[in-house]
Amino acid sequence: MDISDQLNVTQEEVEPFLELTPALVQKRRSQGRIIFDRFIRNRAAIVGAIFLILLFLFCFLGPTVTRHNNPDAINVTSVSATFAGPSAQFPFGTDYVGRDEFARAMAGGQVSLLVGLSSMLVAIIFGIGIGAFAGYYGGVVDNILMRFTDVVLAVPLYLLLFVLSASFTDHTPKSIIILIAIFGWTYAARLVRGEFLSLKEREFVLAARTIGARNFRLMFRHILPNAAGPIIVNATLLVGSNIILESVMSYFGFGIQPPSSSWGNLVSDGQGYFGVDPKLVFIPGLLIFFTVLSFNLVGDGLRDALDPYMTER
Amino acid sequence: MGRYIIRRLLQAIPLLFLVSIFMFALIHALPGGPEAVIFNPHLDAAGRAALRARFGLDDPVPIQYFKWLGRALSGDFGFSFVTNEPVTDILGQRFPVTLQLFSSALILALFIAITLGVLSAVRQRTIVDYALTTLSYFGIAMPIFLFGLFAQDIFGVWLHWLPTSGTQSFGYTFDPFGAFLDHLSHLVLPMLVLAISFIAGWSRYMRSSMIEVIKQDYIRTARAKGVAPIPVLLRHALRNAVIPLITVVAIDFGAVAGGAAITEGVFAWPGMGKLFIDSLEARDYPVLLAMLLLGAVFVIGFNLVADILYAVMDPRIRYS
Repeated sequence: MDISDQLNVTQEEVEPFLELTPALVQKRRSQGRIIFDRFIRNRAAIVGAIFLILLFLFCFLGPTVTRHNNPDAINVTSVSATFAGPSAQFPFGTDYVGRDEFARAMAGGQVSLLVGLSSMLVAIIFGIGIGAFAGYYGGVVDNILMRFTDVVLAVPLYLLLFVLSASFTDHTPKSIIILIAIFGWTYAARLVRGEFLSLKEREFVLAARTIGARNFRLMFRHILPNAAGPIIVNATLLVGSNIILESVMSYFGFGIQPPSSSWGNLVSDGQGYFGVDPKLVFIPGLLIFFTVLSFNLVGDGLRDALDPYMTER
Repeated sequence: MGRYIIRRLLQAIPLLFLVSIFMFALIHALPGGPEAVIFNPHLDAAGRAALRARFGLDDPVPIQYFKWLGRALSGDFGFSFVTNEPVTDILGQRFPVTLQLFSSALILALFIAITLGVLSAVRQRTIVDYALTTLSYFGIAMPIFLFGLFAQDIFGVWLHWLPTSGTQSFGYTFDPFGAFLDHLSHLVLPMLVLAISFIAGWSRYMRSSMIEVIKQDYIRTARAKGVAPIPVLLRHALRNAVIPLITVVAIDFGAVAGGAAITEGVFAWPGMGKLFIDSLEARDYPVLLAMLLLGAVFVIGFNLVADILYAVMDPRIRYS
């Protein structure tokens, strides 16, 4: 811990000590720096973060850099040349009609990551809006919004998503993103409401109100930044669970359908050929697994780093 | 305590009512909803009218809702569009099959999760703890359908150890014991896959609540008066540490309909989840509606059970 915090004195007062015992006094760190340092020290979270960075480069830059940018082209001239193993030309081999599996994994990854991230973004925005109003205004507003949340929470999520996806969507990534986001905001809303309920009683809110801040300004400029930690953690974990949701829907044929491909869709495509060529299941399957794992590791690392009660070792 | 339970029950009723309105409206708003499905293009006007009358589609939607609700409350969910059987009968056949899978997975998962949770709490920050933590991270990140698929491929397709789908092998076994064993062998993979998806989360809960409990003074007292290490854990610590887990288990059990849909879909286990996916593909709306409602009843009911259990088992919690 920073010695100036322990002594409850300002940086200037610490300066004289610095000359006496330079080894004892660390440089004063900003709050962001403290959080970053804590996060860096969590090895699992760093591994997750590095994997995610590599994964994004792989999926979004990979196709142009490696020129495996043609996932739908059939690259073989005879049926006997399908299910090719890894080679210099096709690092992941080819699939059951001879398409480049490397290019398909990258193209599918773009869709899966896009669905995970953008449905998270929409869901978090919904959640913040609903949770903020419920928590800040309380009373009738809170009651109506939270009963509404309870109704959405009471419906078995998978069943509802399957029904809606089978009937309402056109099975493009955009429609699936919207669908997942519509039902993904409930947890964030409860979280934000809880934070708002406790934060709105604090002195800094009263102080801001005293100098004339309006409700909206209080909610989104003063209270919300103080609730940012738990929201960021929830958002990170939500990306992982949205990727799973999308892959489950696609696996059962209610999600993204050709011509778009996602990892879930590739798994369901490849499972019929498992006896012939197991890589068609394992490659997209393991990509889903490691991606979700990394998002969870980063999310938990952020939680530990943002938690002010966590003592530094 | 009694008043708390009654209040929670009274809160659950309007919630269920709202959920049923929401789902009824949803099913009727679906493009190609009940109307479109049963309209066979080869049907003449009279046949059409007869079908509409049979399924009560002539009334305005709110009237349809209240008629449906009235019948649903007495256990009558109408007839399936596909088989013409009463929906209640279909659900009655499927529910025990799902219950079999779910309860066996639940018992197995509880046993393993408690054991692993206690183990990693007692051996905190050792290699055992780290290994179990890593495994549970893997379990949480692995989507259940992928897990099922890998298990099918490895144990069924490659090793030929276990059957991968359905509840029995082709043909008929006259030996009742043989048939029973055959059934059990079909249960193993779906049960394991479902159990592992629970174990990953539950063992984490168990670990953290056990760590909380063994730090407390009464455990030190028990040790100090000479109780052997294992009885301290099992008789003194476990009893308190298991309380938070039980509420989580109750909530997860409430999600039986959703969880079953995936596992049963992958393993073609002919329970409620499989019924749901099949009904969805056939657009069998009365069955879908009944299952959505039943699913909500389970979610709300077991959330309630979780709250009540928590209140009953932990007298420190006060409800005003």
